[in-house]
Amino acid sequence: MSRATPQMRGLSQCLIAYETRENKSSETRTPAACLVSEKLRPHLATLMGSVGFRALLARALALTHPEAAWLRAVHVKADGSLEGLDELEAQIHPDEIFEGCVVLLAQLLGLLAAFIGENLTLRMVREVWPKLSLNDLDFGKGNKK
Amino acid sequence: MKKQNDAAKRKLPKKAVSQPAKVTIRKLPTGVRGLDDIMGGGIPEFSFNIIAGSPGCGKTTLSHQIVFANATAKKPALYFTVLGEPAMKMLRYQQQFSFFDESKLGKAIRFINLSDLALQQDLNAVIDEIIKQVTTISPGIVVVDSFRTVVRKAISGASELEMQSFIQRLAQFLTSWEATTFLVGEYVQEEIRDNPLFTIADGLIWLSQLAERNSVVRKLQIMKQRGQNSVPGLHTIRISDGGLQAFSRTLGLVGKKMIPTRNRRLSMGVPELDKMMGGGILEGDSLLVAGPSGTGKSALATQFIAEGLRKGEPGIMAIFEERQKGYTERADSFGLNLKKPQEKGKLEILYLRPLDLSVDETMQELLDAVERIGAKRLVIDSLVGFEMALAPGFRTDFRESLYRMIGGLTGAGVTVLSTVEVEDTFTALPFSQYTISFLTDDIIRMRYVEIDGQLRKVMVVIKMRGGNHSKDIREYVITGKGVVVIHPRSTDYNGLTTGIPTRTGPRQAQEEETAPEPKAKK
Repeated sequence: MSRATPQMRGLSQCLIAYETRENKSSETRTPAACLVSEKLRPHLATLMGSVGFRALLARALALTHPEAAWLRAVHVKADGSLEGLDELEAQIHPDEIFEGCVVLLAQLLGLLAAFIGENLTLRMVREVWPKLSLNDLDFGKGNKK
Repeated sequence: MKKQNDAAKRKLPKKAVSQPAKVTIRKLPTGVRGLDDIMGGGIPEFSFNIIAGSPGCGKTTLSHQIVFANATAKKPALYFTVLGEPAMKMLRYQQQFSFFDESKLGKAIRFINLSDLALQQDLNAVIDEIIKQVTTISPGIVVVDSFRTVVRKAISGASELEMQSFIQRLAQFLTSWEATTFLVGEYVQEEIRDNPLFTIADGLIWLSQLAERNSVVRKLQIMKQRGQNSVPGLHTIRISDGGLQAFSRTLGLVGKKMIPTRNRRLSMGVPELDKMMGGGILEGDSLLVAGPSGTGKSALATQFIAEGLRKGEPGIMAIFEERQKGYTERADSFGLNLKKPQEKGKLEILYLRPLDLSVDETMQELLDAVERIGAKRLVIDSLVGFEMALAPGFRTDFRESLYRMIGGLTGAGVTVLSTVEVEDTFTALPFSQYTISFLTDDIIRMRYVEIDGQLRKVMVVIKMRGGNHSKDIREYVITGKGVVVIHPRSTDYNGLTTGIPTRTGPRQAQEEETAPEPKAKK
């Protein structure tokens, strides 16, 4: 069951756009999806351990495969980082990469929301990206704070 | 002699210097209703505690309640998880409880997973991380859940001495950093003697879950608490939407002021019965109405409550055998409207019938209701139904539980009427099967008697602790007005208490009664 709801996709796009902007001037060529995942990793690992984070990301990756088959070449390393995304950038169209990354992060955030609820998921996102405005995202009113 | 002593006392010099003040141990709230009373006011600040018990008895929920009740942004709580339930799952499940305040997460409450350290490194790495986090954050509360897994890891990789040294270091460090600590773990009671952890700990809260036939009962015991007294013994706990709730064995009434009752008599709502009772029931008394099924115990109880309502005295009816609807409908048939007083908040009818109740929970529910509406009269209908609603384990202690409960209720200034069903025998006049007559102030016995080919009803006041009462056995009927005492004392019969009296006087002329059933009429 896909966890990449339109809301989670919107959130995911926001995060990728933010990280792309923040890293525009830097020399790093790391894909924005990896940057987002890397920023989430320590926070989530504090909650669930690195093993738990790795399992969650691997599940998100598996959920993404039906929508972005090319992501089958990407793996989660033992430390919870993504492996293989850099290499694919040369072979896959940037739009496709962007779409795939949006779905991957949306699945990850969607899984998180399924476990701990939208409120706590958004709270965590706000903690990791305090400057990011999430006001435009249309999450269920009942879950909004 | 007394004068000399008094004079000697007067000559004592006044203290020139004031004594240095003793340390005052601040008590932290547990966030668990009823538990602060059991713990003598709360958890001693800076204490090093263990929350122990078998799986599923509420250890993690208890720790969360303590954390949520105390954590603030200035004095946060650190919740370390070690190879037990990961924080992610805790957050998932604990947010279902009403005490869970998500606004506290992050700044006031921080979850830190130490599983990786415990798995990949040694005890020193675990303690170093705890020290690092505590030093950085300076928390007021520290929880390690589950500490048992830390110990297991220690046993596998370190000596017993190292283990003891680890616990000692941890305890000293956390206390020095002014943290109140809770180590959560699955232990069995046999471990208490040999495990150094229990020696070092200041407090030991033991939770258990006992299956008795088809019921499960959770209990809590304060096995150890340095610095202050706690209520000894096993206390029932229940986990509901609000988290844990504890029910003290002493019903939280220890040290509470008993409400003095005025020396006035309350009407039962049956004028002739009031006369038999010497003017009515004394306020604050406990009255037992005993009789077989169908003799009108519930009707009398309803009249007692309705009479109170008429006089502006709010009432509570705890019913166990009948549903609320049936109760109010029967009252309607007597011309007693129970719906309006309920709407006005003057009457509460509590239908209590889960099959795993404890007396203490029931008591708490009743006391809450008493407080809510300022009740003056209370009916328990019936003790047999009440006993049936209890978990099997509590039935064995029913008599002493009733003693505590009735004492607690009358101590709160409430006049209590309890009904009890007794089987009529033809050789004796029992008051109840519980041998509880000693704990009630007053007893009314109702019974069937066979007279002139009819099964009639008689009542007698057996006991009135507050004064004299009529010794007459009086016949009564249940009419559209409820229980009505009709005949004056009859001296025409002997042996009424056996149910099969013998006539000693002339037979009285009687009106012919027509059978009410259509079939019988034919």
